[in-house]
Amino acid sequence: MMHLRRVAQRNITRVGKSRSTGLRGLATAAEPYDVVVVGGGPGGYVAAIKAAQLGLRTACVEKRGSLGGTCLNVGCIPSKAMLNNSHLYHQAKHDFERRGIEVPTVNLNLAKMLEAKTNAVTGLTKGIELLFRQNKVDYIKGTASFLSNTRLSIQPISESDSTSEIEAKNIVIATGSEVAPFPGGSIQIDEEQIVSSTGALELQKVPEKMVVIGGGIIGLEMGSVWSRLGAEVTVVEFLGAIGGAGIDEEVAKQFQRTLTKQGLKFKLNTKVLSAEKKDGKVYLEAEPAKGGKSETLEADVVLVAVGRRPYTDGLNIEAAGVELDNKGRVVIDDQFTTSQKNIKCIGDVTFGPMLAHKAEEEGIAAVEFLKTGHGHVNYAAIPSVVYTHPEVAWVGKTEQDLKAEGVKYKIGKFSFAANSRAKTNLDTEGFVKFLTEAETDRILGVHIIGPNAGEMIAEGVLALEYGASSEDVARTTHAHPTLSEAFKEAAMAANGKPIHM
Amino acid sequence: MHPSLRVCSARAHTPLIKFLGRRTHPSTPDAPHPHPAAPADLKARFSEFLAKMNASGSSEPPSKSGSGKNTTVYNEFWEAPSRLWKPKVRYIEEAEVNAIMSGGASAYRY
Repeated sequence: MMHLRRVAQRNITRVGKSRSTGLRGLATAAEPYDVVVVGGGPGGYVAAIKAAQLGLRTACVEKRGSLGGTCLNVGCIPSKAMLNNSHLYHQAKHDFERRGIEVPTVNLNLAKMLEAKTNAVTGLTKGIELLFRQNKVDYIKGTASFLSNTRLSIQPISESDSTSEIEAKNIVIATGSEVAPFPGGSIQIDEEQIVSSTGALELQKVPEKMVVIGGGIIGLEMGSVWSRLGAEVTVVEFLGAIGGAGIDEEVAKQFQRTLTKQGLKFKLNTKVLSAEKKDGKVYLEAEPAKGGKSETLEADVVLVAVGRRPYTDGLNIEAAGVELDNKGRVVIDDQFTTSQKNIKCIGDVTFGPMLAHKAEEEGIAAVEFLKTGHGHVNYAAIPSVVYTHPEVAWVGKTEQDLKAEGVKYKIGKFSFAANSRAKTNLDTEGFVKFLTEAETDRILGVHIIGPNAGEMIAEGVLALEYGASSEDVARTTHAHPTLSEAFKEAAMAANGKPIHM
Repeated sequence: MHPSLRVCSARAHTPLIKFLGRRTHPSTPDAPHPHPAAPADLKARFSEFLAKMNASGSSEPPSKSGSGKNTTVYNEFWEAPSRLWKPKVRYIEEAEVNAIMSGGASAYRY
């Protein structure tokens, strides 16, 4: 009797641990998952949760040891923590006095600031684990490698565990991207003196001089952080403008002026040739992009921010028969299906901009396609945001796009200098710019440089998604006094005249 | 855009935004197309890509040579009808499991 009770208790425990909540069947361990998502970044974890919500038996394999991918661990989230806190420090030091706040001494405790960043990251990554448990997603900590188009080998993170295999009816590749090395290999990243964005988030002291190679979003954000904390920052950009792909030229010019006023230096149309480490410094050799006399730039720390590339290392993708293009991206159709029809692919590792929110949308759409045969991602309405101060955000076409396409368009602009809330906040740098089709008034693009641009662009994305006209926005009530009134007034300017300018 | 406001205005504004209603999808899955962000050369050879995709992991049964009638052959066991590999079971509620395991004691509250 005692023996029977023990067996019964063991069984109850096992049932309690099983993933089926209170339901038991005769399904064996050999039964495959409906979906296995490889990669637990913003695309992968969202796809896994959505798949489970749609009733599919789902697992997510992640090798980092924490969920959230580049974005949460070493990208968007830690950089935003540093951007926000460095901005507060800079304000306290240089801006509070004109607001009537006197703080005799403002000191930087960099170790504490880095700790705050780490706490934000840990809280969020643990939060995803909780979401996995709530949604019954099996979280497999290990490195997935294809054995066939339905079978994956899992090399566990923990050395005490042995390699296992899992079977899946459908697989979603969401392995993301990695930092692109410096072209030609003449500059090697050591993450101490010559750093990528990952190392730039971990510097243990503020460098006296910092050179940022690449004037895109990552370079400008990290350059801003260390500039605010006291570094002398020079941004070297091969192209003639900053801000990266998709930014409106007028906005880019204003952006550069604003950052220059903040103390950042820019060397545009300049090509970095090599880097030499000597006596604790890094000496960069650079020359004009079109050729000419070279110069040497001295730095304590060099940030290489020349972009990212798709990541499929260790995936043994050949065993699955999945096709890659010449840039190493997984080739997919508009339903995210690869050359193997039971394998889908989303996020940075395939086509489109490398943005976390784009990957999330694709993750949801990919599993909806699996479940229902239908999904939706509008690539014409994906916003971009630079989280400097002021922020820069845009969605849709730029003025240079429209000129190139021969589209007749109207411009509606409104400056934050004429916005009441921006005035009260003593934060009036920037403007909102609408681009509309001349004939129909349909909004084609929205570009914002100014306070809260990253939040405000959501209204532009919604307008673009639903095919709104500038008059639709202009006739919509916006609360007073808010920064969003600048958005409304720019819409009014596009189809008539604004009131306050 | 309230109608009365439009009546009052000098020129009636016709919103471009329309209420789409609850989303509905056709019962048949969408046909695949090239990815909108794919490079031009891949878009140009999409039919080739599609043919490769359709040939992959095909659930189409290969015909058995020499046989008078078609016999379905599946590459994976789960592609076969579930009745062949997933026996019908009666799902038991957690409370019932507990009642059985505890000899009925869990059904009583104290």
